[in-house]
Amino acid sequence: MRLFWYATMLFLYAPLAVVVLFSFNAANSPARFAGFSLRWYDRLMTNDALLLAFKNSLILGVSSSLIAVVFGAMLGYGMYRFRHWHLHWLVWLIYLPIVMPDVVYGISEMTFFVAMHRNFGIFEPGLSTMILAHVSFQIPFVALLVHSRLLVLDPLLFEACADLYASPLKRLRYFLIPVLWPALLASFLLAFTLSIDDFVISFFTAGPSSTTLPIYIWSAVRKGITPEVNAVAALIIAAVGIAGLAALVYHHVKFRFSHSVKT
Amino acid sequence: MQQIAKQTGQLVAIIGPGVLWIIVFLVLPSLYLISIAFLSNDPYGLPQLPLSLHAFRELAGFGLLGWSPGNLYTLGRSLWQATFATILVILISYPIAYYIATRPVHLRPLMLVLIVVPSWTNQVIRAVGWMNLFSPGTPLANLSAMLGFTEPQMGLFPSQFAVVVGMVYNFLPFMVLPLYAAFERLDHAQVEAARDLFATPMRAFVHAVLPQTLPGLLAGTVLVAVPAFGMFVVPELLGGGRSSMIGNLVARQFADGANWPLGAAGALLMILATLLGLYILRRAARRLSSEREMLL
Repeated sequence: MRLFWYATMLFLYAPLAVVVLFSFNAANSPARFAGFSLRWYDRLMTNDALLLAFKNSLILGVSSSLIAVVFGAMLGYGMYRFRHWHLHWLVWLIYLPIVMPDVVYGISEMTFFVAMHRNFGIFEPGLSTMILAHVSFQIPFVALLVHSRLLVLDPLLFEACADLYASPLKRLRYFLIPVLWPALLASFLLAFTLSIDDFVISFFTAGPSSTTLPIYIWSAVRKGITPEVNAVAALIIAAVGIAGLAALVYHHVKFRFSHSVKT
Repeated sequence: MQQIAKQTGQLVAIIGPGVLWIIVFLVLPSLYLISIAFLSNDPYGLPQLPLSLHAFRELAGFGLLGWSPGNLYTLGRSLWQATFATILVILISYPIAYYIATRPVHLRPLMLVLIVVPSWTNQVIRAVGWMNLFSPGTPLANLSAMLGFTEPQMGLFPSQFAVVVGMVYNFLPFMVLPLYAAFERLDHAQVEAARDLFATPMRAFVHAVLPQTLPGLLAGTVLVAVPAFGMFVVPELLGGGRSSMIGNLVARQFADGANWPLGAAGALLMILATLLGLYILRRAARRLSSEREMLL
């Protein structure tokens, strides 16, 4: 059993480890390791196309996540507040982007944007269409996260607001935002991760000058894997690894804390 | 009466922007794409009137030069590769989920994170990892050549094998997590009862473990099989023309070999497959558990 666990770990981490290892390869082939070298990383720093792709990924991730958090949080709050109305169509609508196969998702956006552009001159494929598409799949995740946070709140809190004659604006400022901000931060991070991680939908909605990191890696790989591609991938893996480590440390601290409270 | 009108107004103001966004940028585009499937294609592969079912006949293999099984092969291959990958994922996930559920409580979240972390990286990057491992001249490729599975000097990709491995790699966490959730609530008394009655491990599994973990298994199967059927990145990078799947067939119709109606017909098929998967999941979830509904 233990052996099987380690074998699975090997299966899960070997491909990532190989990418990192060969990004330091002095030779140009994944067949043999010819000594340690940083030259591929050197080359990355002067690769303008790559730096642009990095910048595009960041712009896309941040702006789409900001929009999605605002509209998604409103949607989640609406779902909570009008939960007695049994809005089944709303639940279906929210799950639609989550279950849609990504190829179909991307292509339907693409055909739609192309048709709009041809007939009305709006929605020229580029970063702006990518933002529109990304927001549409981020909103449901944000809404569900905010909704689940609201469900665990004490409903009396809402009545307290009403009893104190809080105006909608004051309720937002002094109650909802302070209570929800951890959920809002978490949904921003989730939306950002979804955006950075997405390849297929970006691929179909991108314009010629809006290459993002995954698209850059994709087109580089189609010409053949090189240590340079491995180096870009290794940097992204490192970022993910740090995030994973942070999650572990956070969990560990929380566990320790909850234990020390109990005893 | 006025109260209801006021509340409806509030509802529209609060959920309006989000709902509108999803409708305009997902529902309308999908409906447009579906409608394209019922149009005919002009010489450039773009949709035009009149309405026709030609695209569906083409999807079934009836082309200008008569019937050819190419598209049906691709459909069959999607089904078979997705099924095979799902079975492999189940075979790996059962022992793993069980193992995690039997570890000390404080270790379990760590182990789950270890299972999930690789899937936080991009799909493309994960495929690049396998391309590295399967390239000609790597130890794995040499080993398979030595055992006679592949020609010497050839890599392990592009191949159906590489596609299946890539899909198993992608979808493993989607099976481990629901199975783990099922194992965590497992009633061990039933397993012990089976053992007391001298059940072989196999029979104990079938009669005591399997029924209890069935909801998790089912959820995992839908979560794995449905996206596996529509997989695009993995067959595109790790497979060649002889292992391409319906997702690739659809995408191709909107790129070089343009034929939008044919692609739209394929996309419609993928949507129907997804809805079928969800329907099965909901039906089964209702029948299996008297607990809360799956959706919300």
